[in-house]
Amino acid sequence: MRAIIHVDMDAFYASVEQRDNPELRGKPLIVGGDARRGVVVAASYEVRKYGVKSAMPMARALKLAPHAKVVRPRFAAYSEASEQVFGIFERYTPLVEPLSLDEAFLDVTASVGLFGAPGEMARRIRKEIAAETGLPSSAGLSSVKFVAKIASDLAKPNGQREVRPEETVGFLAGLPVGRLWGVGAKTEEALKRAGLERIGQIAEKDAAWMEMRWGASGRHLWELANGIDPRGVVPDREAKSVGAEDTFDEDLTGVEALSPHVHAQALRVGRRLRRAGIKGRVVQLKVKFSDFTLLTRRSTLPSATDDGQTLYRVVRELLEKTHEDRPVRLTGVSVQELGTGEGPQLGLFTEAPKRSDKLNAALDRIAERYGTKAVTTADIAGSDEPERPKPPRKPR
Amino acid sequence: MEFRIAADELKKALNRAQGVVERKTTMPILANVLVTAHKTGVTVTAFDLEIGIVSEHPAEVVKTGAVTMSAKYVFDIVQSLPDANVTLKKLANNYVEISSGSAHFKIVGTAPEEYPKLPREENAPLVQVTGGTLLEMIKKTQFAISTDETRYILNGVFFEPKEDGKVRMVATDGHRLSLVERELPGDFKLKGGVIIPRKGLLELKRLLDEAPEAECHLGFAENSALFKKTGLTMVMRLIDGQFPEYQRVIPKEGEKQVLVPKTRFLEGLKRIALLSADKSYAVRIGLEENALLITANNPDLGEAKDALDVAYRGAPITIGFNARYLIDVLGVTDTDEVAFELGDEHSPGVLHAPGDRSFTAVVMPMRV
Repeated sequence: MRAIIHVDMDAFYASVEQRDNPELRGKPLIVGGDARRGVVVAASYEVRKYGVKSAMPMARALKLAPHAKVVRPRFAAYSEASEQVFGIFERYTPLVEPLSLDEAFLDVTASVGLFGAPGEMARRIRKEIAAETGLPSSAGLSSVKFVAKIASDLAKPNGQREVRPEETVGFLAGLPVGRLWGVGAKTEEALKRAGLERIGQIAEKDAAWMEMRWGASGRHLWELANGIDPRGVVPDREAKSVGAEDTFDEDLTGVEALSPHVHAQALRVGRRLRRAGIKGRVVQLKVKFSDFTLLTRRSTLPSATDDGQTLYRVVRELLEKTHEDRPVRLTGVSVQELGTGEGPQLGLFTEAPKRSDKLNAALDRIAERYGTKAVTTADIAGSDEPERPKPPRKPR
Repeated sequence: MEFRIAADELKKALNRAQGVVERKTTMPILANVLVTAHKTGVTVTAFDLEIGIVSEHPAEVVKTGAVTMSAKYVFDIVQSLPDANVTLKKLANNYVEISSGSAHFKIVGTAPEEYPKLPREENAPLVQVTGGTLLEMIKKTQFAISTDETRYILNGVFFEPKEDGKVRMVATDGHRLSLVERELPGDFKLKGGVIIPRKGLLELKRLLDEAPEAECHLGFAENSALFKKTGLTMVMRLIDGQFPEYQRVIPKEGEKQVLVPKTRFLEGLKRIALLSADKSYAVRIGLEENALLITANNPDLGEAKDALDVAYRGAPITIGFNARYLIDVLGVTDTDEVAFELGDEHSPGVLHAPGDRSFTAVVMPMRV
């Protein structure tokens, strides 16, 4: 029987803001964009009771909660916190499947011998997250992925819930059918018209009837409703590329204005590569101009690297070649052709470990304890808010 | 331009050109040969901006002149002519008429002025060399040349004249190295050595293979190499850069030494490598008392093992190697036995003739 933990940060972006600014703690807080055009990126628990939800237009949110504090998102801070949180996950299991910056599935089946029962492990993970990042999180535990995800949602905020195998069907029975994976608004509507509102009603039906009525997906829904879902936790190891990209709050023009951002992205990619223990040989720079035209330029290194400075030197060169003095909306740095950097074949001229490797190892230790801003390069430290980006799609 | 030539002569000239002309290039004229009729004969020139070959051939020249034509198509035509002789005649607009017996071709050509000029290296101090020796040295090193274009310094053979009338040639791809030292007396007037690029070296090998005993000359000047033999001149640009300090990666003497019968070893490696994982040629070489074991296993196929009788008394050891690297060396080893020296799992293996290190190959292990 598998042991799966779904860990989800509570109101992640809002919690980071409240952590970093004591004045916002305990207050209704909206993280979002422009009051007229923007949308709600995150809402603190204090403001959720007024009906404010993520992705809601800011104008509407402010009508519901006119007294709410509003801050602009600082995505660099969120990715940094996310990197710390994922670092904690990896202490417990290599089988981590990220769903977004702030949630992941952990398959801890094989870790029970080392760390104790899954419930105990979840408590320790959440405690370490709280101690090291100052952020609240919730966890759901089950032998089935989607059940663990529902459980963590029901445990929020700052709680955890375990659904044992024998409890699974009962746990699901009372929940609305929309909670099942793959049931969107349309399917939910159709199921309701057929009189199926609760998951338990699907579970009680005959599998064959479900299949006749809804086809293969009907059988699948019936299985889910009965807590049957063989999908495993798929770690992100096989990533084809590792990258970092940011959309700027305001368009930027000129190599000098862009390069601190590209530099920070290159260093971020370097950190991610090192954390994953991989190196890449093909470096790509992505530039999106204000008119949304997209340009990518790539360059192949003589040998694979995980050094952010090396990546920066290459992308800076690409940037100089690419740049046309047009306003830029987004830049991104990514690395492809990933591997361990060394094949099984030993080299004749293998050098001693590079100085940059030692430096990076030291910087990584500092970053793990004090954050990535504790020691950074002068151009990044000197530029005012070098990273004011949009959320990266998914962490690698 | 108009001349009559033996089809075999023209075929020989065009055959020499095939290896040099570039088909995939942004300069289409580099896929052409330049044919020039002098009063005394005909020259056929091929040039890719790095390597140039000028081949001279006897012909009955009616009218001097020059034209350039596709090296490939004219070669194909000349190989399928009905008669032993062929006439080439330049028509208006650089068309060329090729006639042989009953067959006539009218080929599109290009004005000779558009053909790039070969560098003139007439001042190179030429040294008379034994073609057979040079050929042997090329064969014993070329396989180790790196094909990784990002390591362009290693894309050639290091040619290093030594003091006592010997020349050393060294090639390495960073995983293995091959060194050969032979008598090649004469003053090349070189400080240190030069790096001869792979493509030029392979063309040189082809030219030497035509007649290994023919008198030939080799010289270097201004970052170019010049090779001459009767009826043929070759120039090539050398690789500009510092060849790595190869001496320091050649172990002085391995801890474990064993004499191995060459042919048995070669055949054993080829056999066992059939079962290497992912066609990686990864095999394990094991030494134990009086036996050398070659083993491989492939998770999808199974495993293989071969054993050779050798006189070995040292501590047992197993080291992974790329069988290809060993096969390359054994394939150009002339002696019946080869001395195989090993250190540990992370140290290079060394192969050379028993008691003779003038041809030495160094091969790094694989992690297996």
